[in-house]
Amino acid sequence: MIRGVNKQQMVVGGIGATLGGFAALVLLFIFRSQLADLLADQFYFSLFLALGLFGIIMTAVAYCILLERKISAWVQDRYGPNRVGPLGLLQPLADGIKLFMKEDIIPRHVDKGLFVLAPFLAFVISMIGYAVIPWGGEFRWPWMPEGETLKCQVASIDIALLYILAVGSMGVYGVVLAGWASNNKYAMYGAMRASAQMLSYEVPLAMMVLVAILTSQSMRLEDAVAFQAGSWWTFAYHPLAALILFIAALAEANRAPFDLAEAEQELIAGFHTEYSAIKWAMFFLGEYTHMITSSAVMVSLFFGGYLLPDFLPGAHWVNESTNILAMFARMGVLFAKIGIFIAVYMMVRWTLPRFRYDQLMSLAWKAFVPMGMLIVLMQVLIIYNDWPQWYSLIGNIVILLAGGLFSAAVAKPITGRQVSLLKRERGMT
Amino acid sequence: MGHDLVIGILLFFVAGFLMAFAALLVGKFLRTSLPHPDKDAAYECGEPTIGSSWVQFDLRFYVVALVFLIFDIEIALFYPWAVVYKSAGIAALWDMLFFFAVLVLGFLYLWRFGYLDWVRATEGQSRKFDAKPDDDLGKAARQWA
Repeated sequence: MIRGVNKQQMVVGGIGATLGGFAALVLLFIFRSQLADLLADQFYFSLFLALGLFGIIMTAVAYCILLERKISAWVQDRYGPNRVGPLGLLQPLADGIKLFMKEDIIPRHVDKGLFVLAPFLAFVISMIGYAVIPWGGEFRWPWMPEGETLKCQVASIDIALLYILAVGSMGVYGVVLAGWASNNKYAMYGAMRASAQMLSYEVPLAMMVLVAILTSQSMRLEDAVAFQAGSWWTFAYHPLAALILFIAALAEANRAPFDLAEAEQELIAGFHTEYSAIKWAMFFLGEYTHMITSSAVMVSLFFGGYLLPDFLPGAHWVNESTNILAMFARMGVLFAKIGIFIAVYMMVRWTLPRFRYDQLMSLAWKAFVPMGMLIVLMQVLIIYNDWPQWYSLIGNIVILLAGGLFSAAVAKPITGRQVSLLKRERGMT
Repeated sequence: MGHDLVIGILLFFVAGFLMAFAALLVGKFLRTSLPHPDKDAAYECGEPTIGSSWVQFDLRFYVVALVFLIFDIEIALFYPWAVVYKSAGIAALWDMLFFFAVLVLGFLYLWRFGYLDWVRATEGQSRKFDAKPDDDLGKAARQWA
């Protein structure tokens, strides 16, 4: 029972909520023709879509956390949450209530303004990337005139991918501000590590997005998806690029095996050490939201977006019809693909051990960046000369092999007995 | 089109902010508040913390940030170019390849002189430093020793 609320008040509140919902339904019924007109307009439809997506994504994020706990339980041969509701399905609700009710501590030694601002930034910035993702292609309400269509996308802009890149880079602010404002050594180290890591992996990530832009010759995500319709998806031609994009996205989200920023054994919890209750929850919501965004971008660029594979029955109808049901089917396909990606993210987290920090940095700068530059260069030439698309598959394989052989040739142990520079200087070895 | 973007972003921005703010505000009425001096202390090691953590940090982080900045600008330039270069003719291609080559040169310089190495204090990396015992770097090293 919530503190300070008795049973009578709860009953009154419940009746009030029911009446309010009923009144809203009646209003919707009365103004249904106006509503239909509004929904048929791209601008107002975008508004409704944005609000709807906000709700969907918040719910999805809450269930992502449950899924993560279930998957970790499955990997470690445990049950996972199974007490709250059937199969633990109400666990996110219970967690939410718990986080609301917990004491929100702002320690005395922090920089209070930035301390409060940081979780807001982390949360909001991870939200706004959704604006440009194509959720379901073009469709038509049954009451709209023939030939007119709406785009199931909040904002359809020409520079969508540049926008995604910009918003993605801004994610660093939340982390750095949190670490700096906390005035806590662990938080500070965590934030420095996290920011250097996010910056480093931003570069190969952006390069792989550039490969996709070169391939589809457009910065619009919906063009990238349309480009893949009726042919192989882009990852079939760019397996290495898709792999690098996936790993970079993993590192960008500060997820294991790249969760150096919150390496529990070393740094307690990293940049959010000093945060508690709802502010802490906002960092987590931000992290999971970020995962959904990056998966959505990855799916749209390399894995066919909302398209079903052509060999499946009914794929033609789902991919091309402007029927509203087909649109919902496409949305379902996109969400399913995102779900698969997130499940893979989670399984990776509970399977692989953590990287060491110098390995992490050299993976980004000495493996992904040179490989990424080669792939970009290759793709620039292939597109310019109109060479057939399967050239890029060969190029990808060659670059992967060359990179592997090169690193095997120059590899030397960095661990083990090392002699310090000063000792060598003094002739002590 | 630009109109759409502004509305979409603003909407997400405002909705996100409102939700986070509402969460804080609603929580304020529900949650307990039992202040205690121990809760105000830094979560570090149980002992009272020594000193502030607003200190200088390692130069390597700045190097990473600088290199990132250069690469990010390059890529941000590449994006619009990638969409139009095919129709812009051979000059656009050569321009960008030249630009790219300069960048690669800088990258190779960083690699050669060990700015991409994270661990720099051991002999494994020492070949990268061109310090002789009698030049400035070598003297500085002796002074510190």
